[in-house]
Amino acid sequence: MNSFALPTPQLAALAAFTLLLFLSGTGLAQNTELESLRALVKGMEQQLQKALQRIDQLEKDKGATTTRVDQVERSVKSTQSAAGLLNPAIGMAIDATAEQRNKAGGTFNFRSAEIGISASIDPYARGYAFFNGSGDGVEVEEAAMVTTSLPWNLQARGGRFFADFGRLAKFHPHEYAFVNSPLSLERLVGGESKADGAELSYLFSTPFFLRATVGGYNKLGAENERLDDTKSRAWSRFTYLARLNSYFDLTDNQSVEVGTSLAYTPSIRIASDPHGGSRTLSGVDLTYRYQPLGSTLHQGVTVGAELFGNSERVERASGFRRMFAPGGYAYAEAKLSREWAAGFLYDNAPSLASPGKKTHSYSPFLTWNLSEFNRLRMQYSYLDDKVREDKAERGHQFFLQWTTVLGAHAHGFRTR
Amino acid sequence: MQLERRVVLSAILSVSLFWCGIGTAQAQSIRVVTTIPDLADITKQIGKELVDVESLTRGVEFMHAVPVKPSFVPKLNRANILVAMGLDLEISWLPALLEPASNPKIMPGQPGHIDCSTGITVLEVPRSVDRAEGDVHPKGNPHYNLDPQNGRVIARNIADGLARNYPQHKALFEKNLAAYLAELDKALVRWQGMVAPLKGTKFVAYHSDWAYFANRFGLQQAGSIEVKPGIEPTPNHLVGLAQKMQQEKIPLIIYGPQSDRYPKQLAGQSGAAVVRLQSISGGAAETDSYVKFIEHNLRSLLTALKKG
Repeated sequence: MNSFALPTPQLAALAAFTLLLFLSGTGLAQNTELESLRALVKGMEQQLQKALQRIDQLEKDKGATTTRVDQVERSVKSTQSAAGLLNPAIGMAIDATAEQRNKAGGTFNFRSAEIGISASIDPYARGYAFFNGSGDGVEVEEAAMVTTSLPWNLQARGGRFFADFGRLAKFHPHEYAFVNSPLSLERLVGGESKADGAELSYLFSTPFFLRATVGGYNKLGAENERLDDTKSRAWSRFTYLARLNSYFDLTDNQSVEVGTSLAYTPSIRIASDPHGGSRTLSGVDLTYRYQPLGSTLHQGVTVGAELFGNSERVERASGFRRMFAPGGYAYAEAKLSREWAAGFLYDNAPSLASPGKKTHSYSPFLTWNLSEFNRLRMQYSYLDDKVREDKAERGHQFFLQWTTVLGAHAHGFRTR
Repeated sequence: MQLERRVVLSAILSVSLFWCGIGTAQAQSIRVVTTIPDLADITKQIGKELVDVESLTRGVEFMHAVPVKPSFVPKLNRANILVAMGLDLEISWLPALLEPASNPKIMPGQPGHIDCSTGITVLEVPRSVDRAEGDVHPKGNPHYNLDPQNGRVIARNIADGLARNYPQHKALFEKNLAAYLAELDKALVRWQGMVAPLKGTKFVAYHSDWAYFANRFGLQQAGSIEVKPGIEPTPNHLVGLAQKMQQEKIPLIIYGPQSDRYPKQLAGQSGAAVVRLQSISGGAAETDSYVKFIEHNLRSLLTALKKG
């Protein structure tokens, strides 16, 4: 042991003191480091927050600037062509066929050039019109006002329009899946359900689609010659309509739409029949659709059928008698690709005067959609005709149809 | 007997209170209908428990051929708010449904109609509109949701639209918006890193709806299977396209909800990879949110090009 040696208890005390100092120093250093790290993280968080706020602000500014630019552009455009911008949407459908009927011969048939216009009238109504030019001349097919903001789920329509009877009667012929209007529709309804009058529809507050329509018209049916559209009449000589229409999604890809319609005319005056009497036209329509959502462009099947029944007094050899004439059609169409579709139409059309006599027709058809607005269709029809009213309605028939649409031509919800 | 009566009365009271509770909860929630699932997801993120959101489309549809289903009509009829993409993306089906829906609150221009295209920098606005150029979009390309940076604009528009109709909840919408934008920003940084190897990759599209996507992630569209938008290819067009793809070494064909017939035929002729991407979210578990949908598209691309 040397002279500098400290006594053992003192040495132990000094060592313990030094160790304590060292440890406390380390602890202090660690605490300081932690705190500085915390401060650094906090600072970074604040900076990140500021950066995010800045990005958000820039987005807002960008949005506001773009909106302002949009507004200025719109303003300039509106001053340059205010009248043009207020013009309604306008479009035209042209429909022509080349036909060969073995009992009547062949023809190039210019079926129609239909001009449609549509626009909002004000915040409360929309107006639309379809003018149809054909071999028979030019006529106003539809020109109507529809309300857009009635309360209680109501919608009113007035003017000349296709009344809400059945399904196919509301289609313009160029929209059919096949070439010709079914003869059952022509004879029983009178072609399209064209009518001058007013309608009120109510959308039920159900989870599924359910809509009721009531209407009153001068007469119903484009080819209906029983009544005159231009003359004033008693209440009993108007035609009154009621329709209930519903739709169900069976799955995401399959749906069914059903409807039932009744058109009642209390009194029809026929020149040679002093009693006149009422006319009741009823109908049931059913449409099944398979529309695979992921491939609606190139796949799908539609099956549609309608049954009609017409009851009225008709002239027979034995005199006037009330007759009930039932008839209808059914068709199926399959989309084979985006361009091609094929289908088959069966039609059962009775004679109104002798419902036992019918014209049965069978029509396979093939459609080639060159684009959404340009379509060629081929159809063969065989008509087994026992009615014998028109030789153009019997035997073998061939059609080649060319239909095009120019501009904004849409018939909307009715012809879905 | 008295005990039984009490039990019955209590049960009736409890059931009544329960139904009243449900009624109140239902009455309080804001019924929002959106046209596509992307908008439904973002609306849920911003409205949270205040909104009851439903998308009309499922996410698998081709947006220019959505069926006009009458089952959409009651949904639109009951909606407090309609959120739509605008730029005429829904032109072929939404206007036809709005008229029978009899709900003036959600008609275009009304406060309940939120148009998410406000503030979007629109790409491919045509200089002239003529159907000789195919089925062109007069207002420009409407598929802006494919650029996640535009997701920020969509979210902002939805938050503003909800606040316009329900100003009492504005602070909550803003808070939820900030949280959602932060999530989107984080994902955007990750995506930019993921697709770095794809920068400059040329591709052929079936239909020209990928401009925003290509613009954001640095891809280049070099041709399309359709002759013009909406016009199916002719045999000559396909032969010319296959030759071009071989000459320019174009490695990728992108298609959406169209048939895979032409993409596969072209891939066989050119040796390019084929990938089916989604133009809207939904339709599958891996794309059931906007963020997952963008991620899924990017991962599909990387897998197709074997760079994932």
